[in-house]
Amino acid sequence: MTADRTISRALQRAALPVGVAATIAVLLVVFYYPVGHVLVSAVREGGHLTIEPIRAVLTDPFYAGVAHHLFVDPLGVPAGVVDWIAAGFPSVRLGLFGFTAYQALLSTVASVLLGLPGAYVLARYDFRGRRTIRSLTLVPFVLPSILVAVGFRAMFSRRGLANDLLGAVGLGPVELLGTLQIVVLAHAFYNAPLVTRLVTTAWEGVDRRQVESARSLGASRIRAFLHVVLPALAPAILTGAVLTFVFTFMSFPIVLTLGGLDLATVEVWIYARVQSLALQEAATLATLETVLSLAFIYVYLRYENRQVTTRGGGQSLPRERLVAGWRSLFDPRRLAIAAYVAVVAVVIVGPLVSLLVESVTDPSGSFTTAYYEFLLARQSSGAVGTVRPMPAVINSLVFGAGTLLLAIPMGVVVAVVATRGGRGSRVAEAILTAPLAVSGIVVGIGLLLTFVFGTTVAGHRLVVTGPVAIVFAHAAAAYPFVTRNVAPALGGLDPRLREVARSLGATRLRALLEVELPVIAPALLAGAAFAFAISIGEFDSTVLLAEGVDSYTMPVALERYVGTRSLGPNLGPATAMGTVLLAVTAVSFVVIDRLGGRWEP
Amino acid sequence: MRRRTFLRTAGAGSVVALAGCTGNGDQNGTPSDTPQDGSSGDTQQNGTTTTGDPERTLTVATYSSFTGEDTAGNYLKSAFEDDRDDVTVEFEVPENGLNQYILQKQQGSNVSADMYLGLNTAELVRAEDELDAELFLDSRGDLDRADAIKSDLEIDPEGRAVTYDTGYITLVYDEDEVDSPATFDELLEPAYEDALITQNAQQSDPGRAFLLWTIADQGEDEYLDYWQGLLDNGVRILSDWEPAYNAYLDGSAPMVVSYSTDQVYYHGPDVDMSRHQVGFIEDQGYANPEAMARFADTDTADLALEFMDFVLQPEQQAEIAVKNVQFPAVEDADPGEGFSEYAYEPPEPVTHTYDELQGKVDGWIEQWARQIAGP
Repeated sequence: MTADRTISRALQRAALPVGVAATIAVLLVVFYYPVGHVLVSAVREGGHLTIEPIRAVLTDPFYAGVAHHLFVDPLGVPAGVVDWIAAGFPSVRLGLFGFTAYQALLSTVASVLLGLPGAYVLARYDFRGRRTIRSLTLVPFVLPSILVAVGFRAMFSRRGLANDLLGAVGLGPVELLGTLQIVVLAHAFYNAPLVTRLVTTAWEGVDRRQVESARSLGASRIRAFLHVVLPALAPAILTGAVLTFVFTFMSFPIVLTLGGLDLATVEVWIYARVQSLALQEAATLATLETVLSLAFIYVYLRYENRQVTTRGGGQSLPRERLVAGWRSLFDPRRLAIAAYVAVVAVVIVGPLVSLLVESVTDPSGSFTTAYYEFLLARQSSGAVGTVRPMPAVINSLVFGAGTLLLAIPMGVVVAVVATRGGRGSRVAEAILTAPLAVSGIVVGIGLLLTFVFGTTVAGHRLVVTGPVAIVFAHAAAAYPFVTRNVAPALGGLDPRLREVARSLGATRLRALLEVELPVIAPALLAGAAFAFAISIGEFDSTVLLAEGVDSYTMPVALERYVGTRSLGPNLGPATAMGTVLLAVTAVSFVVIDRLGGRWEP
Repeated sequence: MRRRTFLRTAGAGSVVALAGCTGNGDQNGTPSDTPQDGSSGDTQQNGTTTTGDPERTLTVATYSSFTGEDTAGNYLKSAFEDDRDDVTVEFEVPENGLNQYILQKQQGSNVSADMYLGLNTAELVRAEDELDAELFLDSRGDLDRADAIKSDLEIDPEGRAVTYDTGYITLVYDEDEVDSPATFDELLEPAYEDALITQNAQQSDPGRAFLLWTIADQGEDEYLDYWQGLLDNGVRILSDWEPAYNAYLDGSAPMVVSYSTDQVYYHGPDVDMSRHQVGFIEDQGYANPEAMARFADTDTADLALEFMDFVLQPEQQAEIAVKNVQFPAVEDADPGEGFSEYAYEPPEPVTHTYDELQGKVDGWIEQWARQIAGP
């Protein structure tokens, strides 16, 4: 009995270090080794280390824009700035990196502006369907870009719904396709719900007692908001903003499909260089891009650490009824919310609805079920190489579940490391969060060059393909979201809770599982939903790893349906598959949220 | 029947004698492909197969829309398997196309497929530029049907890649909105301001073909200036054919770079064909032949050769044309009226030869992309 307990305690004590080791092992295999393989080629030439490729990029005005002077002629920069001022601030050449950062900044501002009011409404008002809508905020996040492009086209093209609406009030038509505006709008479509989601979770975690005591001490509503609520939201807002910036900095499918080549970002260029097998140049660009993204994440982690506020498992703020009698509809706040809902309807709901409409409309505009019949025909087809919809749905769900199993422990482990504090924990966290900062193309090409083609490790030829590799890759991409949701909550937890548990004899693991996790369940749940979402929507590495016919997912099936030549220039089958994807993921999120609801304190 | 068994066991010993049967032995020089050459001509002509033979499998790498229900690839698979017993055709569809196999070769791992179907000239050039070793075997000299291929569609002077179909890149325009431009220079005139949508040559077949066409017309020293003119006149460059074509259908512009087979999709009793007119600039169309080739690493080189000859038969050529909506590569195939009536061949097909593209095409495309992107 005592021996058993000693062993069990020893095991529990070892659990966290083992978890850290396992997390690092998975990351080494599916992330650091393949990505390292790509990045190393940027600084190696003929077996020697060299900075020549990086210097070549930095001194090229095409890439670095006006900043290339810094690397070509650093001493001439002050004089150059003086000349520029003297010339009356003419517009400067941004270069590929500069332009990429510029559009990412615009996209971030747009996403935060569009996302924040949503969090306010979801966290502070009660209305029928609130929880469902809250669950569905993750849906845009998982949609494959090809599908979003279709929806956006149906919504914003010359003959789209938006122009029809404009036309009805005597305006337009507005040509948005191929412009920076539509790229920013599409980025907002993807990332505003992310901001909403993160901030809603944080807002719901604000302890009402703190607000109430501030108010009872005489603070006005605004003051209480600024001093109590806002500091609690800041980390979530910042997380949303930084993630959005990094994602849109690395944006490529949206820029490719909705923008023109004149809006190329660094990532678009990397993709093109990979396509023409100029791998070293691609690796050089990827290295610089990764360094920049990691720097953003590091700076943000440092900031986030200082923002964490102490909070226990208190009660959430009470929610107001959104509709309390029809007179309440005319109160200015409700009117503002109505205006906001109208904007959301155009930017976020519009493209999704347009997508559904496209799936039942033929090119001439009349109703058709042909595209769903196409899916059914594919399902019953015996022809080899036919991508059938049902296996795609099942694979997606199975991989998603597998991703949850891996990503939740990994994410929690990293969150514990991150909140433990101490020297280097920020650096450790930044390194462990690196999958966020490395683009899918780089991971994909790295996996291809290493495991897919086979690599020799200690005399053994290793080839990793198929479902396990896919789940590993998904988990590596997904767990940072679990961490990003859990770490602030864990950090904000009253340390006395844990200390009491520990002093009563609980091990660190037991305190984590039985005391801390239940308190931060909503954050954990949000992280789980994100992890699932990432897995469902992941395309770049899935398509490389899904070699056989038995491991394609919904986005891969969708992409295969796009190129069906026998149907002509027709996205119908893809929109039908997209609708299926939309339905499956929407139901999944609602289920995850509802099941998770049981844990809520 | 016995001959097949004999071939397998006798192996290389029988090659010299049998090579004559294939009709043309002059491409048989490389040691790697000689052992397998023997069976091709014979089995094809006999059309008989051995029942007791172990299964032979041919792995064909291709692009995704070539396989699956109702595609040319699946038709070919069934027809070929029906034609001979004990043969299985499998498809491999790598996301990054031929690059997958170039990388495999570079990394020193074995190329996983037996042959590639869907190769174009620029890809062949890239394989040559990127690799020291040969990626492909010579095939043309060993094919019975090689001489049936239209000579202006042949893309490989070395006989490795053999054309099986082609598309012609042209303009598709709305005749109610605009007249088809007769020359490339006309496209720079105010009448064509904001009138044209094309595709990104870095990733789109028709986009690259249109760029190469302008290079063929304007010259490799002048094409960037010409494109600056197009940009100044409001040309729009979207990522790929599908978004470009849909933007065109949405009325974003009255002209789009597309294929001369456009009307095959759209003809019908109550369709207004005025929106699907095919325009040949300079009375030309840029040919984009698709070819097939055997990988040097294959261990079923003979079967691959049989398959290639099969693909070039008139009957299969007609089916490929209809199912893949491309023109046949051979002179003696008839894809039928439904196809021929609505698919137009340009008066003068142009294309770059392998030698013209060698060492240049990726550079041309990058310079062009820098000109467009130039942030």
